[in-house]
Amino acid sequence: MFKHIAKYSILLTVSAGVVMPLAAVQGNAASTPEKITFWHSMTGETQKSIERVVNDFNKSQSEYKVVPEFQGQYVEALPKFLSVGGTKKAPVLFQSNEISTKQLATSGMIEPMETITKKYKYDTSDIRENILDYYRVDGKLYSMPFNSSAPVLYYNKDAFKAAGIDELPKSPTFEQVTDAAKQLKEKTGKAKLSILPYGWNFEELLANQNQELVNNGNGRKKTATKSTFNNEAGKNILNWIKTNADAKTLVDYGTGANAADNELSGFTSKQVDMFMNSSASLGDIKKNAKFNVGVTYMPHPKNKTANGVAIGGASIWLSKGKTNKQQKGAAEFLKFATSPNEQAQWSIDTGYFAINKKSYDTKLLKDAFKKTPILAAPVDQLKDTKKNSASAGALITAMPNERVNTQNAMENVINGKNVDKELAKAAKKTDADIKSANEQTGE
Amino acid sequence: MQKKQNVLAFVLLLPSIVVLGMFVFYPMLKTFWLSTQLTNLMGEPVKSVGFKNFTNLMHSESFITSITVTMIFVIATTILTVICAYFLAILASRKMRGMGFFRTIFSSTMGISVTVASILWLFMFNPQIGLFSKVLTSLHLPDINWLSDPMWALVAIIGTTVWMNIGFAFLILLGAVQAIPTDLYQVADLNDASKWLRLRKITLPGTEPTLFFVMVVTLINAFQTFGQVDILTAGGPDYHTNLLVYSIYQDAFVNHTIGRASAESVVLTVIIMIVTFIQFYLNKRKAARYAG
Repeated sequence: MFKHIAKYSILLTVSAGVVMPLAAVQGNAASTPEKITFWHSMTGETQKSIERVVNDFNKSQSEYKVVPEFQGQYVEALPKFLSVGGTKKAPVLFQSNEISTKQLATSGMIEPMETITKKYKYDTSDIRENILDYYRVDGKLYSMPFNSSAPVLYYNKDAFKAAGIDELPKSPTFEQVTDAAKQLKEKTGKAKLSILPYGWNFEELLANQNQELVNNGNGRKKTATKSTFNNEAGKNILNWIKTNADAKTLVDYGTGANAADNELSGFTSKQVDMFMNSSASLGDIKKNAKFNVGVTYMPHPKNKTANGVAIGGASIWLSKGKTNKQQKGAAEFLKFATSPNEQAQWSIDTGYFAINKKSYDTKLLKDAFKKTPILAAPVDQLKDTKKNSASAGALITAMPNERVNTQNAMENVINGKNVDKELAKAAKKTDADIKSANEQTGE
Repeated sequence: MQKKQNVLAFVLLLPSIVVLGMFVFYPMLKTFWLSTQLTNLMGEPVKSVGFKNFTNLMHSESFITSITVTMIFVIATTILTVICAYFLAILASRKMRGMGFFRTIFSSTMGISVTVASILWLFMFNPQIGLFSKVLTSLHLPDINWLSDPMWALVAIIGTTVWMNIGFAFLILLGAVQAIPTDLYQVADLNDASKWLRLRKITLPGTEPTLFFVMVVTLINAFQTFGQVDILTAGGPDYHTNLLVYSIYQDAFVNHTIGRASAESVVLTVIIMIVTFIQFYLNKRKAARYAG
């Protein structure tokens, strides 16, 4: 409860600060611009960046005014949207994370993005195809990618050097990571690797082995009915975790709401030297790590080639039932937000990808890559990713449940339980969750 | 006359009937109804499924774990809180110089919000830089994964909650201990009564009603625990700290299964109802004993 009060009061102060100067401007203008409400879930530095994008757009023209409203984390914002969706209170634009794609697409509260890209000649051909693919449902673009990221492996180059270990290759194997972790343990006497028990890590490590998470083309050909990770690929992941847990080279940050933040600050304060996280953490790491940071692709088992990873992050959705003018305003704003320069600046500020291909030709981004070469690794990984249903990412409603199930399997293996049994349990539970979610949505 | 009085009574009751009806009874009845429905992602009922939500719960391993750990948690927290707070209250009730300082310290956890306290403890439980891991290492004891080992995570949550609850329980119990007339102790002194005897024959009986009250409040608080779980473990590892209220939140707002969440709420209501009846029964029996 207190947590929420604190959040709302921050929200109030922030929105008062944002709205007041805008209101003053509005009073002077001859005609009032059309308001485009925009719900987002960006916090900290990223919130400042998204507000900069919005302000730049508002200044660039006078017909529309985008009003950004922070609505809590993705998990909190989604139920809020679902409870007002389809009514007048619904925002025109709504930012939501990748795993809610199926839920929103089938909710009946969404106007597919393709409607306005067609109507207002919004050319999306410059936007990266494999990112757009994630947000296509039945071949139709449902939402506009905005802040896209992918997981990478971060490591402390200085610690490797001090321990006399070779730097990791661009695309390391599980075995190489384990090897480095063992050597670090030998030299420092401490566990230095973290594999966070988090469903997203499991999904991405699975995709990297070209293994789908669920059947029917990862739920993209038609509605998925069963999980497909109880096999060698799934075992590879859990066995990798087990090997490191047994060798005591693994730091376990647990599954709490702050586990990922703890892991991140553990890395920047040199407590762990290797971990996997979203490329969107690059901004933070760049700022806080006082050592040489190495960034590689996600690891893969030695006997398999790296397939590449699925896109994470969030996209922007358009509410159903908005006026033509609002739709046009939304299209104009999104055109602006996904333009080469805006995406380049956004990417430098936050560590998310620039989703516009032309961003990489801008002087802005070229200079940034020269100055900080580690920015390039996530982008290269995306370019090297093979285009198939595994790397397209799974499309199911029961995604939150699946994440908890695989997360539990990971955690239990760290705590010494049997790999085969835990994997089978997670798969069985996910099957049941998929089934009941399909019942819920009538599929 | 009688009829007029009835009308007046009804008019006077009306405001509370309306308020309670809108904010308590209507949501409660709706929860009962929703617990028999299959709901879509927006929480709207799609079709009636009878008691299927309940039978699903009974067959769900995670829910059984939830219930079990909730029971362990509630009982452990209540007992530990009351014992610790009572011990501190007796200590702090002595008249000594500087006692005011200790009273302030002991009751200070009351003024700390759940979030702040949880984050403090989160630092202490940190596997590498946390206080507990440093202490264990310096004592050459094996490391404990406080928040990621199923058993220790529950211990950690119980410890945190007891610490948070102590302030309130201490303050109330201190008042009760101090309210016992001092001449009783003087008589005991004259008779050379041992400390244990004084505790058993004077302090405990004198504070019994307050003790009962503190127990009830702590118990209900324990059932409603949410913040600590969210911040420290988010219900993990493997549901071993997934207390009922947290489980309801997860199912309703993360998994979007309002039907299942409503069924869980009904189960929680029934459990609390049973516990309340037991408490009332014990209290009544005790009252009867005193009267007799």
